[in-house]
Amino acid sequence: MPEYPTPNLDNDQVRLVGLPRGTSGVLMLIGLVALAIAVALGWRRDDQLRAFSASYLVNYTFFLSIALGALFFVALQHLVRAGWSVTVRRSAEILATGVVYLAVLFLPILAIMLLGWTSPYFKWLDPQTIADSHLAREKLVYLNLPFFTVRAVFYFLVWGLLARFFFKQSTSQDTSGDPMLTRHMEKAAPVAMILFGLTITFASFDWLMSLEPAWFSTIFGVYFFAGAVVGALAALILLALALQAGGVVRRAITVEHYHDLGKLLLGFVVFWGYIAFSQYMLVWYANIPEETVWYLARQTGPWTWVSVGLLFGHLLIPFLGLLPRVVKRRKMLLGVWATWMLVAHWVDIYWLVMPTFAPRHLPFGLLDICCLAAVGCMFFAGVIRTARRCALIPLKDPRLGESLTFENF
Amino acid sequence: MPAITHEDNMTQDPTRRAPLVLGEPDLASVTETVCRIAERPGATPAWYVAFVVSVALTLILFGSIGYLIIHGIGVLGNNSPVFWGFPIINFVFWIGIGHAGTLISAILFLFRQKWRTSINRFAEAMTIFAVACAGIFPAVHVGRIWVIYWLAPYPNQMALWPNFRSPLLWDVVAVSTYATVSLLFWYLGMIPDLATLRDRATTKPRSILYGLFALGWRGSASQWHRFETAYLLLAALATPLVLSVHSVVSFDFAVAQLPGWHTTIFPPYFVAGAIFSGCAMVVTLAVPARAIFGLKSLITMRHLDNMNKLILGTSMLVAYAYMVEWFMAWYGGNPKEIFAFVNRALGPYAWGYWLMVLCNVVVPQLFWFKKWRTTPWLMLIVAILVNVGMWMERFVIIVASLSRDFLPSSWGMFKPTSIDILMMIGSFGLFFTLFLLFCRFLPVVAMAEVKAVLPTRDPR
Repeated sequence: MPEYPTPNLDNDQVRLVGLPRGTSGVLMLIGLVALAIAVALGWRRDDQLRAFSASYLVNYTFFLSIALGALFFVALQHLVRAGWSVTVRRSAEILATGVVYLAVLFLPILAIMLLGWTSPYFKWLDPQTIADSHLAREKLVYLNLPFFTVRAVFYFLVWGLLARFFFKQSTSQDTSGDPMLTRHMEKAAPVAMILFGLTITFASFDWLMSLEPAWFSTIFGVYFFAGAVVGALAALILLALALQAGGVVRRAITVEHYHDLGKLLLGFVVFWGYIAFSQYMLVWYANIPEETVWYLARQTGPWTWVSVGLLFGHLLIPFLGLLPRVVKRRKMLLGVWATWMLVAHWVDIYWLVMPTFAPRHLPFGLLDICCLAAVGCMFFAGVIRTARRCALIPLKDPRLGESLTFENF
Repeated sequence: MPAITHEDNMTQDPTRRAPLVLGEPDLASVTETVCRIAERPGATPAWYVAFVVSVALTLILFGSIGYLIIHGIGVLGNNSPVFWGFPIINFVFWIGIGHAGTLISAILFLFRQKWRTSINRFAEAMTIFAVACAGIFPAVHVGRIWVIYWLAPYPNQMALWPNFRSPLLWDVVAVSTYATVSLLFWYLGMIPDLATLRDRATTKPRSILYGLFALGWRGSASQWHRFETAYLLLAALATPLVLSVHSVVSFDFAVAQLPGWHTTIFPPYFVAGAIFSGCAMVVTLAVPARAIFGLKSLITMRHLDNMNKLILGTSMLVAYAYMVEWFMAWYGGNPKEIFAFVNRALGPYAWGYWLMVLCNVVVPQLFWFKKWRTTPWLMLIVAILVNVGMWMERFVIIVASLSRDFLPSSWGMFKPTSIDILMMIGSFGLFFTLFLLFCRFLPVVAMAEVKAVLPTRDPR
């Protein structure tokens, strides 16, 4: 039986050092200031915070999708008992715990809905839409504020518990070295996957699909999932690069890990394209009004160019870019493509949300940047707080040796 | 080195990777175990019995096809409104079966899943035979099979072109691509093993025939280098095909506006269902094959355990699709769509629907229990039921949806004729005939690949 050598990481820094002590606090502060500016900018528009709400939802969903993609990555590694990914798994575990902070950051969305300011935030909250639309009325059993809130609480409960479970088990193995902890996580992984699949599907229905209450698509949950994994893999690559640039885990993460993460990223770029194509092609071909309405908004005016931009920027160009072996084995090149994919993923979420709010123009501006900074800084403030408390690789994972010695052929 | 036991093979210990081959395997014993099957002068009685039955069923298939061609497709149960009956159900069923072979040979290869080496060869063979069975049905379903070449877009004096907007044409392209790549992949991987059989041949005809197909393989370093490169490239090319073929098959239905057919999740849902049924067929074939041909040391319980986990996982994906379809049928607010689903569950074909749910969703849950995943006869029951369930799924999608569409005045029931049923049973005969011939004359396990994962070969 292949016995792997005991890893020698003596000279490797596996703790998050180098960041000044107050980084989390400063990030938190920047986030709050950015949020205040964003609210102020939104307030000045005198549209009952409609523009702010839309922009906040985009950027909130962006970071949520990364945390959820990371949670999927962690559960997947245990489900298939992967050995290669051990040293990059901790980053994903840490990112996934960020979902706890994102639960708090969901409160502004709920608050705005509860205050009833931006009635058309979700059109099904708007009495006029409900009165006008038979289809929206039909769905009120599902699309109503109390049930919506209960579901959201349930999603966050599931995600938070799963993320904490994998994080806790994995970090406690750092001290105890007990291989049975790995078995526990492997046994929990299938259940985690089922819960994850159901929650991410219905969360995407609730928070993105129901923006256009008449519209529906059975593949939508898979579409959001595919994009989330693309975002998470790109984030993991960039995180690894950033950590190594900062002088930590320099030996624990090798070029082979980048190569494999790059391959997975390429795979999910294609998977996203496959799902996006399936959805578009079937809606276009059948040409049923309540389905085409959603794409109509996205092929009218400037949104046409965003749609075409996604086809090229989220699929065709990165497909060719990530295809060569050399790209996945050069840190600089892979970093460029990971950044590219992260931007493309952001545009994808923007494209999912915004046409409902601004059908005729591209509202991109300072407001979006402030919201991005607000959610991003607060999310990373939390993530860094977590990262400081643990090692950045699973120090005593039974498959650490395998992860450090495997090679791509 | 001590002999590898069943316990070693089934270890769940995360500190080490389980050995994949039982006993005291060395290179010679692997060759011996596998080649013996193809070199034995006469086959076992079990093989002969199975072969005679399969050939008889195959003759029934070809007899029915002959009858169909002479009399026209009126001999089938297809009617208005159920224009697509058994032929399309069988086509989708058989195409789906093939997918597990490509998953094991291509996707698991890219994922470095070394356990695939013991089962990839016969899983790929299964793919090719399943595609062969599948191809027959749309071909005879077109009615005038003597002008089947009109399906191909070629310049002709009639200026007659197929409709490029029709998913039926995409099917022709997708399936023929799939058949070509699968065949190439299977054959390429077999070349070193064919050379082994050639080298061991004791009679002139065997030596010539195996030699012909071994393409002058000498096992030199440069040949191995090119072989590995070509294999990797074909694996990468075959991987998207696992997704594309059944996606295109799903387009046959989903591009229509018919409730129960038109839904956006169809492509990935069909792919998951295809892999689900294919894995079940792999288990159905592997359990008897490893017993009859003495391959238990190569195709171990761990392989079957892994396959059963794949069945459980893909069953969950199929269940997810069923659930989302139900939810969206209600959420979409289209009364026709809701009706289509209620009709499936409570209408005249409710027995088919609930048989499908039972076999595809409920029964595979038994694989949560280790006993079911690791007891051959128990897993065989589940695997066969999954195959029944996946056939029923296509029946429900095609017949239940078509029989009651928008206009109650055009509703109608479907009743298969004896030709329908004979052709379906006969296609199993063809499948098993081809498979039995494969087991008898070709290397059923990829010897060269298994040797590469033996413990003695591990550089560590």
